[in-house]
Amino acid sequence: MNNLMQQLINGLALGSIYALIALGYTMVYGIIGMINFAYGEIYMFGAYSGLVLALSNYVNVYVALLGATLITMVLGVVIERIAYKPLRRSSRLSALISAIGVSIFLSSLMVRLKGPNTRGFPKLFENKIFQIGSFQITIYQIVIIGVAGLLMLGLHLFINYSKTGRAMRACSQDQDAAKLMGVNVDRVVSITFAIGSGLAGAAGVLAGIYFNAVQPYMGLMAGLKAFAAAVLGGIGSVPGAMIGGLMIGMAEILGVTVNLSQYKDAFAFTILILVLLFKPSGIMGRKVNKKV
Amino acid sequence: MSLLTLDNVTIRFGGLTAVDTLNLEVKQGEILALIGPNGAGKSTVFNLITGIYKPTEGAITFDGKPLGGIPTHKIAEQGITRTFQTIRLFSELSVLDNVKIGAHCRGTAGLFKALTRLPSMKREETDLEEKSIKALEFLDLVAKQNEMAKNLSYGEQRRLEIARALVSKPKILLLDEPAAGMNPQEKVILMEMIRRIRDTGITIFLVEHDMKLVMTISERIAVLDYGKKIAEGTPLEVRSDQAVIEAYLGSGKFKSRIRR
Amino acid sequence: MKKLLSNWITQALLFLIVLGLTAYVSQVINDVLPPYVLTIGLFIGINLIMALGLNLITGVTGQLSIGHAAFMSIGAYASAIATVNYHIPFLLGVLIGGLVAGFVGIIIGFPTLRLTGDYLAIATLGFAEIVRVVFTNLKITNGAIGFLGIEGSTTFPIVMTIAVLTVCAMVWLENSRNGRAMLAIREDEVASSAVGINTTLYKIQAFAIGSVCAGVGGALFAHTTTFIQPTDFGFLKSVDILSIVVLGGLGSIPGTIIGAIVLTAAPEVLRPLANYRMMVYGILLIVIMIFRPYGLMGGVNLRQAVRRALMWPRKKQAGRGE
Repeated sequence: MNNLMQQLINGLALGSIYALIALGYTMVYGIIGMINFAYGEIYMFGAYSGLVLALSNYVNVYVALLGATLITMVLGVVIERIAYKPLRRSSRLSALISAIGVSIFLSSLMVRLKGPNTRGFPKLFENKIFQIGSFQITIYQIVIIGVAGLLMLGLHLFINYSKTGRAMRACSQDQDAAKLMGVNVDRVVSITFAIGSGLAGAAGVLAGIYFNAVQPYMGLMAGLKAFAAAVLGGIGSVPGAMIGGLMIGMAEILGVTVNLSQYKDAFAFTILILVLLFKPSGIMGRKVNKKV
Repeated sequence: MSLLTLDNVTIRFGGLTAVDTLNLEVKQGEILALIGPNGAGKSTVFNLITGIYKPTEGAITFDGKPLGGIPTHKIAEQGITRTFQTIRLFSELSVLDNVKIGAHCRGTAGLFKALTRLPSMKREETDLEEKSIKALEFLDLVAKQNEMAKNLSYGEQRRLEIARALVSKPKILLLDEPAAGMNPQEKVILMEMIRRIRDTGITIFLVEHDMKLVMTISERIAVLDYGKKIAEGTPLEVRSDQAVIEAYLGSGKFKSRIRR
Repeated sequence: MKKLLSNWITQALLFLIVLGLTAYVSQVINDVLPPYVLTIGLFIGINLIMALGLNLITGVTGQLSIGHAAFMSIGAYASAIATVNYHIPFLLGVLIGGLVAGFVGIIIGFPTLRLTGDYLAIATLGFAEIVRVVFTNLKITNGAIGFLGIEGSTTFPIVMTIAVLTVCAMVWLENSRNGRAMLAIREDEVASSAVGINTTLYKIQAFAIGSVCAGVGGALFAHTTTFIQPTDFGFLKSVDILSIVVLGGLGSIPGTIIGAIVLTAAPEVLRPLANYRMMVYGILLIVIMIFRPYGLMGGVNLRQAVRRALMWPRKKQAGRGE
């Protein structure tokens, strides 16, 4: 039982990171119906931004987090304008291929900028371990769960109680109707990308701290797993992405405990494929009837 | 003689009953039109016949055989072809290819023949080309056979869809709003075309909104409202049917069309 | 009937002659050109075979598959295990590699081809990653360390002959009932069903054939590099092949040939830029999608273009005849 508690905490921490990235996927998909394949790379950029900021001696963890988030927000908006906006009227295939192009470009850019090797993350604060009964929780984990939780709460409040949030929800239901109601869809799309990218960037910094490692290709894995999380939770649903992320994180940790750690990367993908085959609308997704 | 029979056909999507206990017969060789206000369920009926939807209750019989459970792609084989409300052509392919694909259900060449180019396959291909050109001639599109389908004018695209539906020599042709977007001259040509098609022995079942066209060309009309058949008969009978007039124009008393 | 049969025999003979000629000419080239150039040519051939497979899946049938490298790895490992562990002759090993890859393609195809567009793409990527993880952990593949000791049996003539064979197969396929069905599926699945095309069947066919091509390419690859490891067949490799197809033009066979030549030779020719290769690919994909989504050969029907080029001098003579 106590071991379960321990795994729960570990899973929660890992899952929070996936959830943050998954939120980006689900929001963008909900509004413009495309999978931003490059979210993993934006997450990676966040991690590196945090790294660069942390290495300059003037910053503490909060500034690094904030800075990385801002950088990735800008990055996200720029990507959208350059690589996705021109293809909004084109086929989904084109948009997806373009997204793959962005993903490849970003990861190889980082290889050029910072080298292909894994870099450690500087210690921004001491990692104390708290012993509660027979399980442990580290400060890192508390920070991750805390920050992620705050961000998700903030997002929830923003989407449901702000004017822009309402515009976003309108766009995800019916873009044309929203346009007719005076919503500036372009602006909403940019804001959505900015938020999603910011979340991914924050997740990147948190991951850098937690795993003490950043490498240019970390985005691919994390991105795919986060996508699996978004689909599991129901693509297009914000609470779904949160739940999905936590579940994928949990599944991975549990996989390690049952001695399947070498295959842990494959868990997320297996879950993804199973979900796509049997319940593509995910846990909280809405079922769309095909109209001929 | 009844070619296509819908027997107490009902389909429900969650809480919505799109088609309600529909009993309809399409007689061999006739031109039957299905009309009704928007949302009455007309396209749904077509989708039921072609296997895109499965009826929640009731059965559909075609040429004596029940259609229940037959997957969509086997419907064409049976002799039922259709056109679509929004034109669904193979835009990047040539006009000729579009029609050739229409005859897919009549061909037999498989992967093996494709890779070995046996004489029997060559024969089938030449046959196919002949049939396709004939279909294009029938619809006056031969001159454009090598054009890409997406480069055709709207009227020509509609004709191409019909050619594609005809090349497999179906027994019944389902036309889903064939006159949509056409100007009056094109509609006259369309009516002429529909008659010519019927004269080759093909039964016509059409859904249409243009009342003048429907009244001119149909031999019988069935009227759907809220998924139920409210009238059936000759154009004259239907035109003066009280229920039909009310469905389209209202009864003079305010009756909300919002479904409760 | 007799005429058709004699026609067919003539065509079959012609085909065999072409194949033989290819083998002969490439053997001559093999003896003449420096090994460095030959190796590039070899890889052009291998990439072409695999790209033709992906072109069939994605360009012709419209199913975006971004896990193509997984089938390459299946072919590579299967053939390597066959030739090294079981001493099976090289060409048979290549065939085995292709068939195993095709078989897995069918198994994967069944469930995933019910998915559409984006989901399908991600699912193929998911499968590719699963394959990679599995191969990294199996004993028989020697895991992450890699598979050593493969014979370098691949030669330039062999690759070229198989490449020509594959091109012919693709051209024939495209001009057949099957090929038209696949194109129809790409254009409009609903309409395809309505005219009697069993979309699932043809999607799986395309997937299977495409996977066989990737498997054969992988087998040839393994027997060139003599050493393979799971990381050779990751996402980047899939993108490599996808870039060839996209550059040449989705669905165009001549385009795929040009794409294979350009993208295999360019990194070698433009050595100083080699480090920026993936960056260039990334930008290439974006730019092509925005400005020329049909690739280099896009919208250009090779047959018509050639015909027009040949008709020119004749047209000047026809003059008033029209």
